[in-house]
Amino acid sequence: MSPRRTPSGGRIDRLRTIRFTFDGTAYAGHQGDTLASALLSNGVSLFGRSFKYHRPRGVLTAGIDEPNALVTVLRGDVREPNIPATMVEIYEGLVAVSQNRFPSLAYDVSAINQLGGKFISAGFYYKTFMGPVIGPLKGTRFWMLCEKIIRRAAGLGRAGNVPDPSRYERMNAFCDVLVVGSGPAGLSAAREAATSGARVILAELDPTFGGSANWSGETIDGEPAIAWASDIVGELRDHDNVRLLKRTTVWGYYDGNTLAAIERVGDHKATPAKGAPRHRHWTIRAKNVVLASGAFERPLVFAGNDRPGVMMASAAMRYANQYGVLPGDKIVVFANNDSAYSAAATLNKAGATIVAIADLRQDVSEDCRTLARECGAELLTGHAVIATEGAKKLAGVKLAAFSIAAGVLPGNARKIEADCLIVSGGWSPTIHLASQAGARPVWDDDLQAFLPPESGNGWYGAGGFNGTFSTADAILEGFAAGRKAAGQPEVEIGTAPDIEPAALDPRPAPVFEIKANGKAFVDYQHDVTADDVRLAHLEGFVSVEHLKRYTTLGMATDQGKGSNVPGLAIMAEAVGKPIPEVGTTRFRPPYAPVSVGSLAAERFGDLKPDRLTPMHDWHLENGATMYSAGLWHRPMIYGEPGETVEQAYVREAQTTRQAAGIVDVSTLGKIAVQGPDAAEFLDRVYTNLFSTLPVGKARYGLMLREDGLVFDDGTTWRLGDNDFLMTTTTANAGKVMQHLEYFLDVVWPELRVHLTSVTDQWAGAAIGGPRAREILAACVTGTKVDNEALPFMGIVHGEIAGAPVLICRLSFSGEMAFEVYSGSGHGTHVWEALIEAGEPFGMVPYGLEALSTMRIEKGHVTGAEIDGRTSARDLHLGWMLSKKKPFIGSAMMDREGLVASGRLELVGLISLDNRPLNGGAHIVAEIDTDNPHGSLGHITAACFSPALGKYIALALVSGGKARHGKRAHVSDPLRNRFGPVEIVSHHFFDPEGKRMHG
Amino acid sequence: MVEQLSPLEPVFRAGSHGNFVDGIGVTLSEIAPGSIVQLAAWPGQEKKLMATINSVTALKLADGAGAGASSDRYAAFGFAPAKFLVTDTSEGLAATFAKEVPSAIGTVTDLSHGRTALRITGAKAEWVLAKLFAIDFSSAAFPLGSGISTTHHDIFTQIQRSGPASFDLYVFRSFARSFWKMLCHAADEVGYEVR
Amino acid sequence: MLITCPYCGPRDVSEFAYQGDGNRKRPDPASTDPETWNAYVYDRLNPAGAHNEIWQHAGGCRAHLAVVRDTLTHEVSSVRFAREHGAPTHGRRKSGAKA
Repeated sequence: MSPRRTPSGGRIDRLRTIRFTFDGTAYAGHQGDTLASALLSNGVSLFGRSFKYHRPRGVLTAGIDEPNALVTVLRGDVREPNIPATMVEIYEGLVAVSQNRFPSLAYDVSAINQLGGKFISAGFYYKTFMGPVIGPLKGTRFWMLCEKIIRRAAGLGRAGNVPDPSRYERMNAFCDVLVVGSGPAGLSAAREAATSGARVILAELDPTFGGSANWSGETIDGEPAIAWASDIVGELRDHDNVRLLKRTTVWGYYDGNTLAAIERVGDHKATPAKGAPRHRHWTIRAKNVVLASGAFERPLVFAGNDRPGVMMASAAMRYANQYGVLPGDKIVVFANNDSAYSAAATLNKAGATIVAIADLRQDVSEDCRTLARECGAELLTGHAVIATEGAKKLAGVKLAAFSIAAGVLPGNARKIEADCLIVSGGWSPTIHLASQAGARPVWDDDLQAFLPPESGNGWYGAGGFNGTFSTADAILEGFAAGRKAAGQPEVEIGTAPDIEPAALDPRPAPVFEIKANGKAFVDYQHDVTADDVRLAHLEGFVSVEHLKRYTTLGMATDQGKGSNVPGLAIMAEAVGKPIPEVGTTRFRPPYAPVSVGSLAAERFGDLKPDRLTPMHDWHLENGATMYSAGLWHRPMIYGEPGETVEQAYVREAQTTRQAAGIVDVSTLGKIAVQGPDAAEFLDRVYTNLFSTLPVGKARYGLMLREDGLVFDDGTTWRLGDNDFLMTTTTANAGKVMQHLEYFLDVVWPELRVHLTSVTDQWAGAAIGGPRAREILAACVTGTKVDNEALPFMGIVHGEIAGAPVLICRLSFSGEMAFEVYSGSGHGTHVWEALIEAGEPFGMVPYGLEALSTMRIEKGHVTGAEIDGRTSARDLHLGWMLSKKKPFIGSAMMDREGLVASGRLELVGLISLDNRPLNGGAHIVAEIDTDNPHGSLGHITAACFSPALGKYIALALVSGGKARHGKRAHVSDPLRNRFGPVEIVSHHFFDPEGKRMHG
Repeated sequence: MVEQLSPLEPVFRAGSHGNFVDGIGVTLSEIAPGSIVQLAAWPGQEKKLMATINSVTALKLADGAGAGASSDRYAAFGFAPAKFLVTDTSEGLAATFAKEVPSAIGTVTDLSHGRTALRITGAKAEWVLAKLFAIDFSSAAFPLGSGISTTHHDIFTQIQRSGPASFDLYVFRSFARSFWKMLCHAADEVGYEVR
Repeated sequence: MLITCPYCGPRDVSEFAYQGDGNRKRPDPASTDPETWNAYVYDRLNPAGAHNEIWQHAGGCRAHLAVVRDTLTHEVSSVRFAREHGAPTHGRRKSGAKA
């Protein structure tokens, strides 16, 4: 028998024993235990070391608000740090370790920090590490020196560094009513909404539905609350329109009633089910939301309130009732309200001795007195705990007389031996989601808490969330909220259920802090003390938001669930204003820590979308090295064994210029432009005329942006009177489509034109070189391909190997070239036929490198030159600007700055030292390696030109044409490449175009 | 005629996959219709275009966004204002419509090679699709025959409900293999059969 | 944030592409008045409150929408097809006026 396990009771399965380890020690617990309850049952009281001072810490709560007992869970080499032990369900073989201790949890050398505590107060880092103004440690250098040491000493768990093999997943859901929280209020709301036929999602962050019904020990209409809850859950399970999500934390409330939740699908299992995710991220779009998220009991701030053995009263009650675990044998109760008395009664019934109850209030109700008497406790009204004793574990408490008006009264303090101190400082409704949704909380003097407004835009509240702490009222509120959220008319609310034992008065005394000597923690997780808050005030921080950032109060992973209100109260007292005037901070998502994996879900690794051309598999089978161009995968080179990239592309380009080459151009953007006004539309969007283009011909077109700069280029083919096929650059396909759609929809809705992306409809193969026409002639049927049938920019329909094709004679390589389009499903078939036909002529497939080489030799522009800053004239495309019509960009393209002299213009460069040139390198008149300056422009693309036998480049250079024939230098300090170049025309090769016109 | 090559070829593995020991949650298949055609009407000509669809396919489309219908041979649904996707198990549908739809009514665009049609069927079809799309797949919100346009990652998808637990998905052909892998990945959990 | 597309219904904002200030009216294409064009191309309203915007349902039906959105709350008070209704006209600045 575990030392602290009660002989009976609790919702654990005592017949199922589960073995696990904590810091290497083997323990056993039961099915239904959390790591916290299982360790407590084994008598473990020390769970971790605190953030700054390395103080020993135990477990304070039993839920998601736990600030102390943070552990790291290990699965093989994968480590997940900073998980509250209260949220870890044990499973067979669980391995958990404590954090922030060295060399071990029990003996931590950094605990010495607490002796120097004054020096690590609020703003410590800001003040200490602001280095001197001069000297070797000036500015932030001192900080950088110390940072590594401090980072090791202060902090939380260590993050893992091996890949996480778990699967994460995203899920979308839609419902009429989302109920957050499955306590009595939430269950009541869900049942009411479900009965009305609404689609309901019920989300519960714990592994079991029922919320407080699991540990309240109450009866509802004579039935144990647990049974009442499981009856309703059973009922809900029978509804088709209800989805029950347990282990699901709703953590974000966004616009449009869209909520984010995380479902811990596999964390409680030793091995996940096949294909099942570890975490599932839910995006829930709800017509209405019922917030039944309950309330958090908050600690009192007093010296030594962080010693292991100090625990929230409600948590102690939960350990006893839900897990059958007693957190102590000799328990002292310290409270400013009635609720701790029921905890005392519960613990006493479960077998603990309640030594004393210290109540800050002078007057205590008869109900409480009765409860105190029944559990045999000495009732000390008007008393406070002023210190705790013990090393790593509570040994006793010091009590002194106290008055609400005057604080701790002088006189002899009294020591009481105890191994557990349970504390209640009142309750703070869990209003986080409402706050995220924009609700402004209102301070309630009776409850000493911020309450949500009655309802918000799209949500209704019920139960503890509303500050309603009686189960009977919570059930009634749930009923009403469920009806409203489901859009049902309001009805007369029936009689309240009969709850036993009767509810106690929830109103606490307005006391948050007991001032005495010693560290009194407000924010346990970040080690922020009451003195830190006052220090912040002394140093002039007035706004709560600043207080929060300066002291880091409430900024730890628990997000100040327990510390927010006490922190505010202390600040308010220091400022001398009432709490509501000091205000509160707005809660932001996430309500609780969320795994990054669940946010990324399947968006990683090879599951990002890839775009593949129809001939993709052929490329791979034929030795292509692939290259990612946006989402597309394109062949870079088809390297032969032993070839370098440069050798491969030089061979490919050379063979193309000598015989023939074929390249996959399926990635070019293709847009069907159809309709009676298609030609008019193209006249408006291109700088040149398309209405004059005859059917069966193609034309090169240039588009500008509205501001007159170049946007994109490509050829457009007229397939019919009302039917054009526009091609765009691969990279700009989406942008061009959107640009055109915008003008049709917003600016010229009167034009009858339809645009359709047909990029994927067509497989494209460009075949070029002196033998290209012969190759086509050898495989094309149904049409001639001679100069007469297929002149430059002509289009014919035919067949290759039985598949219909569309052939246009146009050239990017500068060779006699043809683009052969076939249906994508026929792409590989046609490609293979072309390869076969090309074999006798020595044709090679070539990749992007050779394509780029040949275009540089020809001086054709691409995205590197169309960089959003160049005008048509800068690129020597001024001849394409029609004077006969306005077009997009025509009004702005002649602005002063765009026609000024000295603009960067497209030129060619030849390396004079026979060394490669690099894109991005600057062009200067004279080299100055120590002080690079005086850029005349930059290189946009570079290659070795097999046609010239030299390293060449395209560049944008100030003055451009005027510098042809002049020498300049490349200046590339980053790659340490300096050297002479000659500036020449960008038309390096065959400037008259004899080869392509044939 | 030359047969179309499926873009799924190397990743299409017929048989049962994933967590199928407790049963098959969904069946995944490629439909490979002979024709996929986009029809689009000019403003005010939508009814005439719908009448033409009816005369060619015998499918009656209701008024309203996304309305659709299907028969053994044809399927049709609206996916954008005055725009429809129509499929035929046989080839040549674009040519038929090109004759039937005059330029005064609208345009016909052949997408038979440009889109890949996939089908997901089974009790868990809605669950699996909900992992990929922020779309309410319940019958009330997404009735039989109707269609929608949406996106998963960068993958534009048109979806038609082809049965009480069956959806047809049309994706750009270049994305089809990637999308198929994602679909299979999402279906792992419920067990799936590729047919 | 959700935008209710008049064709597709409410969809997540990730399906939409912002296509700019909806208050702009393109000048007569024949005009070469630099002030007018300058205002059209470069001037944008930046109100704290209701704003006329153009959004494209890029991941859906691809229609451009004239949306009135509150820049402070993200509340979308009106969504119409831009094609049918053009750019909304409320709160428009005089064309050519300096910011």
